[in-house]
Amino acid sequence: MATESTTASPLAETGERVCWSCSAPQAAQFCTSCGKVQPSQSVDYFTFFGLPRKLNIDVTRLQREFYELSRKLHPDLYGQTSKQEQEWSLEQSSLLNDAYRTLKDPIKRTEYLLRLEGVELEEQSKSATETARVSGEIKKQVVPPDLLEEVFELNMQLEELRMSRKMGEDDLALIRELQAHKTEFEKKFEVLTQELKQYWDQWDRVADVDQEEKRHQIRDKMVDVLNRRNYIRNLVRDVNEALGS
Amino acid sequence: MSYSDKVLDHYSHPRNVGSMDKGSTDVGTGLVGAPECGDVMKLQIKVNPETSVIEDAKFKTFGCGSAIASSSLATEWVKGKTVDEALQIKNTDIVKELSLPPVKIHCSVLAEDAIRAAIHDWKKKRETAKPETVEARS
Repeated sequence: MATESTTASPLAETGERVCWSCSAPQAAQFCTSCGKVQPSQSVDYFTFFGLPRKLNIDVTRLQREFYELSRKLHPDLYGQTSKQEQEWSLEQSSLLNDAYRTLKDPIKRTEYLLRLEGVELEEQSKSATETARVSGEIKKQVVPPDLLEEVFELNMQLEELRMSRKMGEDDLALIRELQAHKTEFEKKFEVLTQELKQYWDQWDRVADVDQEEKRHQIRDKMVDVLNRRNYIRNLVRDVNEALGS
Repeated sequence: MSYSDKVLDHYSHPRNVGSMDKGSTDVGTGLVGAPECGDVMKLQIKVNPETSVIEDAKFKTFGCGSAIASSSLATEWVKGKTVDEALQIKNTDIVKELSLPPVKIHCSVLAEDAIRAAIHDWKKKRETAKPETVEARS
């Protein structure tokens, strides 16, 4: 996987801001000149790490940077500083942890990027319902009907299994059928994950280019794949729970 | 998070659980899902072809208490209404009635979607079935 590791300077992102202590241009966390901790800015997590808004990232490098910043922001280093600096270092620390946790996981990273790009998954569904109400059109479900049918059927079987368990029976034929379904769903999950990865590459190719329409297309495709993928993930989890108990 | 009494009531005594014949021309079926939580909801209505009144409604929902309560309430509300009246039901009405917290609003959205989808399905069937359907009913 191609990993774009452009060392985007935080300076470029933070624009006019200067260090509170020495007035030199400041970096996201520390002044590049005097090294003093800076108040946390409301920057997105990519900017925090000086990364471009892309989906293939060098996680090893991210981790290295995380450890380094964690060390530099350690409360022990601020025992002798002003109260204000102590607070800032704590703020920066918590921002650092959130940013790292979100970006190191590729799915969380994708969901986060989609939010930055204006996609609120739940809001999306609600506003679609409102539009449908006004227009009288039927709302397009984010999950395709055939998948919904399968999910419904599988849930029926799960319920059946739980019922028979309650009666003290183990319906072996049903268990085998559920296991077969589970395997199928796991395959689908894998296919969707691969599909998502292709969109990461596509996204990264147009991320810097002035092609808003194309970006929106890829963004919407990612939303679609994620929705289906999440659905299947929850379903497999339920089947595992039912089969495991 | 605690559920309101009304949610608990619908959850422990869901109304109108069941299913109807999907193939029947009088029956409309709505199957909807919310990927955020993995819920899936099926709502069916039986409509009188002459009066367009919803005479019966059934549901089956796999999901959290709020999703079950929302769909249970939806079946109660649509019964006795004409399809056009039923289309007036808004998710916010359900939120209000069940005192759903913000994180559960998507359950009410799902219930509204299910009603609309069921009605849409019924209308579509009625259009494809020729005018003689009225006569065909003895």
